[in-house]
Amino acid sequence: MSVLQVEGLGKSFGGLRAVDALGFEVGRCEILGLIGPNGSGKSTTMALVMGVHRPDQGSIRLDGEEIAGQSTHRIARRGLGIVFQHSRPLRRQTVLENIELALMPDRISSLLLRRSLADRARAIAGRVGLGSVLERTPDALTYADLRRLELAKAIALGTHALLLDEPFAGLTASELREFSRLIASLRDEGRAIVLVDHNVKGVRALVDRMLVMHAGRKIAEGAPDAVIADPQVRAVYLGGALDVHHVPTARPAQHEAEALLEVRGMTVHYGKARALHEVSLKVQPGEFVAVVGLNGAGKSTLFNALSGFVPYAGEVRWRGGLQRPGGEGAPARDGLVHCPESRELFGDMTVAENLQLGGHRLAPPELEAQLAWLFDLFPILQERRRQTARTLSGGEQQMLAIARALMMRPSLLILDEPTLGLAPVIIDHISAAMETLRKDAGLTVLLGEQNVTFAVRHAERIYLLENGETTWSGGAAAFIDEVGERYL
Amino acid sequence: MARLLRSPRFWLAAGTALALAALPLWMSGYVLGVLTIAYYFGVFAMSWDLLFGYAGEVNFGPTFLIGLGAYVSGMLNAYTPVPMWFCIFIGAFAAVIGGALLALPALRLRGPYFGLVTLVAVLILQQVIVIFAGVTGGEIGLAVPDVLSVRTDPNYYYALGFMLISAAVLLGFARSPIGLILEATGQDRVAAEALGFNVTKHKLLAFCVSAFFSGLAGALMIFYLGTASVGTVVDISVAVQIIIAAVLGGRRTIIGAALGAIFLIVAGEYLRPIGELSNFAVAALALVVLMFVPDGFLGYLMRRRAR
Amino acid sequence: MRTLLEILVDGFVISALYSLGAAGFTIIFGVSGVLNLAHGGIMVIAAMVAWLVAGRLGLGPYWGALGGVGAALVTAYVTYFAVVRPIARSRRIPEVEKEIFVLTATLLWGIMIQEALAYVFTSNPVAVPRLVDGITRVLGVSTPTNELVIGVAAWLVIGLLWLFVTRTRLGKAVLAASINPRGLALLGFDLERIQWFVWGVYGLLAGIAGVLVGTFLGASSGEIGGLTASAFSIVVLGGLGSVPGSLVAAYIIGFVETVTAYLVSPSLRNLPALIILVLILYVRPQGLFGRR
Repeated sequence: MSVLQVEGLGKSFGGLRAVDALGFEVGRCEILGLIGPNGSGKSTTMALVMGVHRPDQGSIRLDGEEIAGQSTHRIARRGLGIVFQHSRPLRRQTVLENIELALMPDRISSLLLRRSLADRARAIAGRVGLGSVLERTPDALTYADLRRLELAKAIALGTHALLLDEPFAGLTASELREFSRLIASLRDEGRAIVLVDHNVKGVRALVDRMLVMHAGRKIAEGAPDAVIADPQVRAVYLGGALDVHHVPTARPAQHEAEALLEVRGMTVHYGKARALHEVSLKVQPGEFVAVVGLNGAGKSTLFNALSGFVPYAGEVRWRGGLQRPGGEGAPARDGLVHCPESRELFGDMTVAENLQLGGHRLAPPELEAQLAWLFDLFPILQERRRQTARTLSGGEQQMLAIARALMMRPSLLILDEPTLGLAPVIIDHISAAMETLRKDAGLTVLLGEQNVTFAVRHAERIYLLENGETTWSGGAAAFIDEVGERYL
Repeated sequence: MARLLRSPRFWLAAGTALALAALPLWMSGYVLGVLTIAYYFGVFAMSWDLLFGYAGEVNFGPTFLIGLGAYVSGMLNAYTPVPMWFCIFIGAFAAVIGGALLALPALRLRGPYFGLVTLVAVLILQQVIVIFAGVTGGEIGLAVPDVLSVRTDPNYYYALGFMLISAAVLLGFARSPIGLILEATGQDRVAAEALGFNVTKHKLLAFCVSAFFSGLAGALMIFYLGTASVGTVVDISVAVQIIIAAVLGGRRTIIGAALGAIFLIVAGEYLRPIGELSNFAVAALALVVLMFVPDGFLGYLMRRRAR
Repeated sequence: MRTLLEILVDGFVISALYSLGAAGFTIIFGVSGVLNLAHGGIMVIAAMVAWLVAGRLGLGPYWGALGGVGAALVTAYVTYFAVVRPIARSRRIPEVEKEIFVLTATLLWGIMIQEALAYVFTSNPVAVPRLVDGITRVLGVSTPTNELVIGVAAWLVIGLLWLFVTRTRLGKAVLAASINPRGLALLGFDLERIQWFVWGVYGLLAGIAGVLVGTFLGASSGEIGGLTASAFSIVVLGGLGSVPGSLVAAYIIGFVETVTAYLVSPSLRNLPALIILVLILYVRPQGLFGRR
């Protein structure tokens, strides 16, 4: 009998259908990998199973009993544990006390029972490899140990079903292997485990079965290798067949010309989690360079660091001069403009007002000229210029975000995931605009994409970012030859 | 128990308690009177710290609970033949019920909004007391016929004993497994839920414990003073003093709050000659402490010892 | 009938004044994320200084008003630089607790202002000299001309604010900052400078509101709490961060208070607003127009 059974699960947020007709089963001694790109509905599914949200349709059964819509703490008491993506220990208590807490029942009479918990807590700590750090507080623990603590808390409840949300994020390769072994051993003890991750390659070896989600629905399920080879899955991740013919030729290496942007050994930590490690790249004036990688690989971290929103270690040279980390608006004023994945539009202001804010440093006649040029490039924006940004469709909002960034007359435009969630028709439109910008305006672009097809269509050079490190770099044609199929 | 007897802090506390108990032997009635009030304030502040330091909920209106306890017991005593000690305990339970009614819907709100609701509760209570001045005595206050004692020394011992017992109970509660669960719910609500704890239930429990002690202290205090008035048990200025006391003494220490309260009341007496400026000075001090020594006096000491 | 007209006129004027203060309050929340519990203090300082300059220093009501607004401006900046910003930048205070700390800090700061004013001016109310003397008949009701002037002035200021926010570059930037500060930073704006500016606008609005209320209802340190409470009720009812929301809510609260003062009792004028606040927080915390 399956431990966790989900049938016909559905949830909408406002007009957005986050999860649709989803069903799956997980049995004892089994790990199900739930994967999908950003926005596919994985996190919502976890939240529904865990009781954070109430599903609109469908049923969730744990050991045959219905748990859909119940409160989180009751579901936890039934034997379902969760390891969150971000570690959340009690800051002031020791490792031992944190685990003891997880062992406590939810009764007021627990006022009196402290004694026996310490031994059980020690046993659990040993099980996950925390035996030597029992008396330390979380601020003295390494990142990997913090993740172990989260795992310990989740199994302390005597849980026989586990939800793991991005368990490998921020870990080094060797830590990842160790963790995989630990999770596999937990499975072998009889647990049913659901593992959510972006990193398909990373979980491939660990999971018994894989389920791929896209736009809230299940698009593939089965053995990992079969799922990865599934054409629909590849389309979702790669964006379509990799076509060799439309690839722009890489320019001859211009060592003499000074690079517009040069990054050397950039390393970023979020608290203790390692987000980027020794990343280096170069962008010459007029080039179109793409950083390709799955979500969670570190593209957004890289861009946020470049535009001054995230502190970093390492060296960044802009137009030859050394950039100082931090200073949120400074790089933009200098010509390094970042158009983020979240777009950050001013929802309650009109299209025209958004654009005008982008051109705030231009004199009125220049502003008008720039506006005219952009309206020419994106005619739909001119049509909608008096509408508030909030009322635009996804594709129109993306165009507005790009246009607004262009109003700043950037020397280098950083574009983060422009095609995410857009229909192919719109993507083509943006593609055409990108081409015009390159040919006519000689715009230099640094693109971040998980949609490899789009990247390969425009970029001359590609960097592959995996788990915070650059694992490959070269021309677009070479990318298709050498990496292409291995991308997933 | 054995561990307790070996702890140096225990002997420090016991010694201090004995010293305080011996004060009536050579202190004047005036000083004892000030300390009596200070001890009741100590309980106000400690109950506040349980809620703020542990459950993580900032209560801008502790005087809502104190005032409820005080006025209910006072009015019972003034208008019914119910014996004094019954009035006091009924007052405490009234505070618990009132607190629960306020907290249950309010706990759904995020931190600052919860604080706002508590603040407004006090303002509303104040207005209600003024509206029904016929029964409550309005701005002038309500005279209660009974008192704990007419002599200074017994009053002092009532207050000291009450404070020591409350400190022991509240500290025990905070250090117990329940206290640990409370801290978890205060620090990270979702994580606590995922560990199987009903966060709302625990926060409500904390609120009720806080309400009980606040209400009880409020009731006892008016039977010491002989009158219940808005200015002593309801006014926002009293609420602010309690918050200042806990902040100065050190949040999340329970004992620190009591120390802060005693310091505040005693300092207030010394500064009385400068009038309103003393309130200004105290608020300024609290602001500085809040910004630069957020763990308060005792909290700072404890962190240094922990290094 | 007579009373109804009086209520209409008074309510209208007081609502207009409240809307000034509330607009500033809600912009500050949108841009800085701060619920300023010292709001009433800033308004009353403005009124007191106006009284001081106009009366004691004998410079007349117009210089008084200017002095009062200036004082409010200074106080607003002190609030930002000495209280709000240090906490936001502090490394001693954990991030998750900063919101509550700032709230408590502004509460303490408000108390400091209240006590300082009570010490210097005593808690007796002062009447700020009116800008214009005389009586006018409006809708058959004899109203002090000053009251009408105040109403018009308040509307003028709101109108200027609206024009500023919708027609000027800087104004639009301020509006954008209250909607999405990060978006503005991505466009190369210096958010520090925007904060500077916004607190100045807030000081002006609160100062003007404070001085005008002072000529209309008088001012005293004891009123500070009530003014802050009214401002709260308004911005929460209207929706935190929404300027149009606070304008609408100002009229609702203003009229509710005036009706209470006339028909029930002046000392209870704040009560219905408080009850509304509690109900809103329980039933619809995001208010009428709120987004967050």
